Amino acid sequence: MLKISNLHAKVAGKEILKGLDLQVNGGEIHAIMGPNGAGKSTLGNVLAGREGYEVTAGSIEFNGKNLLELEPEERACEGVFMAFQYPVEIPGVNNTYFLRAALNAQRKYRGEPPLDSVGFLKLVREKLKVLHIGDELLHRAVNEGFSGGEKKRNEIFQMAVLEPMLALLDETDSGLDIDALRTVAEGVNRLRSPDRAMIVVTHYQRLLDHIVPDFVHVLADGKFVASGGADLALKLEEQGYAWLEEGGIQSLQNNEPDKGSGQATSQ
Amino acid sequence: MSEFATQLGQDLPGRDQGLPDWVAAVRARGAEQFINHGLPTRKDETWKYTRLGFLDQRKTRLATAVNAQAEPEWPAPIIDVEQQVRFLDGVLQSGSRNFASGLKMFSLRDAVKQNVPGLQKLLETLPSTHDKHLSADGFSALNDATLDNGMVVHVAAGVDAGRLLTMWSAASGSSAKLFNTRICILLEAGASLQWLEQFETAFDHSNSTNVVVQVQLAEGATLRHCRLQHESENAGLVTRTEVNQQATSSYSYFGFDLGGGWVRHDLHTCLSGENAKTSLNGAYILDKSRHVDNHARVDHIGKNGYSEQYFRGVAGDSSKAVFNTAVHVHKGADGAEARQSNANILLSKLAEIDTKPELEIDADEVVANHGATVGQLDEKAVFYMRSRGINELQARQMLTTAFCRSVSDKLIDRKLASALAQRIMDVMPQLEDPDE
Repeated sequence: MLKISNLHAKVAGKEILKGLDLQVNGGEIHAIMGPNGAGKSTLGNVLAGREGYEVTAGSIEFNGKNLLELEPEERACEGVFMAFQYPVEIPGVNNTYFLRAALNAQRKYRGEPPLDSVGFLKLVREKLKVLHIGDELLHRAVNEGFSGGEKKRNEIFQMAVLEPMLALLDETDSGLDIDALRTVAEGVNRLRSPDRAMIVVTHYQRLLDHIVPDFVHVLADGKFVASGGADLALKLEEQGYAWLEEGGIQSLQNNEPDKGSGQATSQ
Repeated sequence: MSEFATQLGQDLPGRDQGLPDWVAAVRARGAEQFINHGLPTRKDETWKYTRLGFLDQRKTRLATAVNAQAEPEWPAPIIDVEQQVRFLDGVLQSGSRNFASGLKMFSLRDAVKQNVPGLQKLLETLPSTHDKHLSADGFSALNDATLDNGMVVHVAAGVDAGRLLTMWSAASGSSAKLFNTRICILLEAGASLQWLEQFETAFDHSNSTNVVVQVQLAEGATLRHCRLQHESENAGLVTRTEVNQQATSSYSYFGFDLGGGWVRHDLHTCLSGENAKTSLNGAYILDKSRHVDNHARVDHIGKNGYSEQYFRGVAGDSSKAVFNTAVHVHKGADGAEARQSNANILLSKLAEIDTKPELEIDADEVVANHGATVGQLDEKAVFYMRSRGINELQARQMLTTAFCRSVSDKLIDRKLASALAQRIMDVMPQLEDPDE
């Protein structure tokens, strides 16, 4: 589904990603971990197409298409979704209205007829039920005055309605207390499906107690320095990221993934 | 003084035997000022962004009678209101009337003859607009000089008179006319009224209207004033709203400028009594080559007065908006609170917005803040929306609409708020493709 090859990217003239490779297939959950400044958020922003992130080398292929040639809205319509680390408040734009505009834009792109407000509301109710969240977020302006937990829940809710093929959760756990974290993780787990892949970017292992990944990749200084199964995250939790500077890569790299389809290699 | 103003001066009406002496005196004083000082020019500080040449170019003449032969097509009222009066070419289209709610509506002539309490004093004391040049008050002087057409509304003490809608429209005419009208709203102690004004003409015309509104709010009176200006592309409209507030009275203003060719509104409220409250709000959304000029001013005289101003503006194409807000907390107006907020968005390179907040404080224990910005949309919000599949133009459109709707959303009258929100969406200018 997603194939990233030798990705190099600059932000404000500074090289952040320095040759990154990643392959993600349908149904897989990949976790990307790493210390601050490793390039985790840059990867998300490059995938989503944010301005100011300049790809200087390498490629990103998504379902056979060159993702880097697409506008951010086209990427969304192709099925890429990013759950933001800091969801933006949009005063005056109603959450339901916004989401219907987004869904209908995607439907139009796929040549499907738009959903009217009745049909849309029905869909929304179903999704809320699946996610076990109330409808109080619907009537408010997008993220305006939302608590940290509400903002993250709203991201997951949008993901449920838009049904992307690839979802990237950018530090979705940051700023959440343990209860909010559990709610969000449960939502994500309910959206797991054989056709949907997810990339979970996180600084801490605790999110991965709730969303169990198939693969864990360690990003440091713009490259993947280690990859493994879910237990790699536990090891990281124990040892921290200090080993990165102490040449401990080898021992961690001995953890082979359980499944053979996902791969990440350092350059 | 311009030849044009001299011509207008020559056309001023003479002595009208049907009006009492004191009205004749008001007219004579206005005429004298107008003949000596004429219309405002760009040398006047408060008019420096405002070009008036179009009046001359169109060979505008003072109107003496309604243009139309037949009743024109009236636009639909913004919301259904039972108590309704109409002005065509600045002339009241119905006789004096007592509404069941307790609202008394008079033609200006009837009101003058019947000596409605407080009216004489109000008409005799239209204040200056604080510019050092008398020409800055040219339109008011002209309005005084032609004092005749208009309406007086009186609500007795303690009466809630409900909603009143005044519809303003022009009749077609082959030559450009300037209409002069006076409106006086007198609310006795504890009285309340919701007043809606709608300026809209179903076809394009090149007439101009000069309206002076004088509002007197006695102790504890409440006026909720909402004005929709959705005039046609060439129409001229210059209005002045003068509000005087006694103790504990409350005035709110919501103005929506969604059309017009050349529009100017001077909105002035004076918190004379203690604990008076005023809330001035507005949105102006401009496209084509419209010019909309809003000047808001609040004078805090009484103690513990509260004033807030919230204005939002959007200018597209080659339009031009001017927003000037001034708050003066006078000596002795201790404990005043004054808030001013004005934000603007430019949608095109050719559009222009001039905004200037002014704050003058001569009292103690005053809380005041102000802010004025001209900028672009929040790019983070644009990206967020795009990342969900909404294209860039649509995202910008949605954000701009929301920006202006933040004004109508503040209205307590939800029915009115939603009708205005719809109008705002309808007129929002198409954005330019940012890639071009």
